[in-house]
Amino acid sequence: MAQEKMLSGCAAAAQGAKFAEIEVTASFPIRPYTAIMMELARMVANGELDCEFIHGEGEHAQVSIVLGASACGARAYTGSSGVGVTYAFEMYSPVAGGRYPLQMAIADRTLDPPGDFGSEHTDAMSCRDQGWLMGWAASPQEVFDNTLINYRVGEDPLVMLPQFVCQDGYFLSHIPDKVILPELSQVREFLPPYKAPHPLSPACPVSHGPQIRPDQGAPMDAQRAMTFLDVPKVIERAVADYNAIFKRNLDPWLEKYQMEDAEVAFFIQGAHANTCKSAIRRLRAQGLKAGMVRPRWLRPWPTEQIAEALAKTKAVATVETSTSYGGATRGGNLIHEVSATLYDLEKRPLLTSFMAGLGGDVILLEDFYYMAKILKQMVEEKKTRQKVYWVGFEEEA
Amino acid sequence: MAIKIPKDREVPFGAITPAPIKQQELFKTSNWRIVRPVIDHERCTRCFTCYASCPDSCWSYNENEEQMEWNWMFCKGCQICINECPSDALTAVPELDFPDGVARLEKPF
Repeated sequence: MAQEKMLSGCAAAAQGAKFAEIEVTASFPIRPYTAIMMELARMVANGELDCEFIHGEGEHAQVSIVLGASACGARAYTGSSGVGVTYAFEMYSPVAGGRYPLQMAIADRTLDPPGDFGSEHTDAMSCRDQGWLMGWAASPQEVFDNTLINYRVGEDPLVMLPQFVCQDGYFLSHIPDKVILPELSQVREFLPPYKAPHPLSPACPVSHGPQIRPDQGAPMDAQRAMTFLDVPKVIERAVADYNAIFKRNLDPWLEKYQMEDAEVAFFIQGAHANTCKSAIRRLRAQGLKAGMVRPRWLRPWPTEQIAEALAKTKAVATVETSTSYGGATRGGNLIHEVSATLYDLEKRPLLTSFMAGLGGDVILLEDFYYMAKILKQMVEEKKTRQKVYWVGFEEEA
Repeated sequence: MAIKIPKDREVPFGAITPAPIKQQELFKTSNWRIVRPVIDHERCTRCFTCYASCPDSCWSYNENEEQMEWNWMFCKGCQICINECPSDALTAVPELDFPDGVARLEKPF
């Protein structure tokens, strides 16, 4: 029987790993991720989970250990936060290049300085170009779902790629919400055991991760790019199966909230979307037709789905929860992708971005009202005054 | 969008290849060798010091021929085996002295 439990995002990630029957996990403490490794350690200690639990001497070692485990054919799991994520950076490209479908949970934490316990997405966003699948959850339930869905997609023979399953530190990682834990038999139906195509084995010696010749670099990049053309159909199939087996109603790509008649839209990633939805209900009560689009994947970026979802709006604002100092808009990262996504539309909405939720800050309802005011002004004036607003730090116009 | 990779430029999946326990075409990393170890089988005592000292396992024993065998596609020419050989059976010979020397390859990589 499926059970309903109150779980934090970290506990939900650990439950996801347990239901995925992971075989090896490597850990190194850094909060907020620590809660995931604590939960897994408890499960291994009391016999709930049959898994090799290895302590790395740092995050670089953690990812190296799971790379080795995955190369031997094990379903491997690790995770980190903030500076831990960046400390392991060297390993991300070899893991994706060697096509090891291991999973890493990232509970975002602000990078130093200030290294705050609270969320900011810059740690994980910095890793987006390393060839991993990647996306943010907005609830503990979604963390659980994404853990299973990511393993299924990553281990698909067409894909064979590692996955970052991201969640906001603190807002999501440490605040409990209802999570439905399914039957193990259902999970086994959805996620068959991992079978590595060329496992390291004395019976059939192979070389993993050798230095390839310089003239092989470009075709290898092209082969990886080709893989990403197959990923969307694998994701759609996996989510359809997930919905059928677990009787759920997940959209593979986006969460759309009140978008049917929305004139202005927030484009936001992660758990701040929950506050955003509350703000939208209140804004609508005051007569502003606002809506929200939240991508469930950052890599692969759902280009067509986002273009379609935003095409009928008059103004769009990306809520940037990460920084890209000196970038095109001098603000965050999402607007770059959203601009590229909307550029070829016949009639594209006005576009701006808001820097908020940085350094572990919460995004308050008032902040969303401020953003809505700017969006409304853009629609009335039919122009974008600024491409980026630092919420709370702008001089009144 | 369609990406097409010519057959002759395809890379094995994840760059995973059979291990170079024996010489094999998919594992050519000898391209920067300047000198190569040349063995004098008369002087060789089959003591396996070369086998043990090679950091890349480029020496093996051919049981049929009853002599040591060198993996020329994998050897980087570090000369450790030459220095370690107790019976002076190995000599460092410049690649340029060989018609098939890697320094002569039209396409070095």
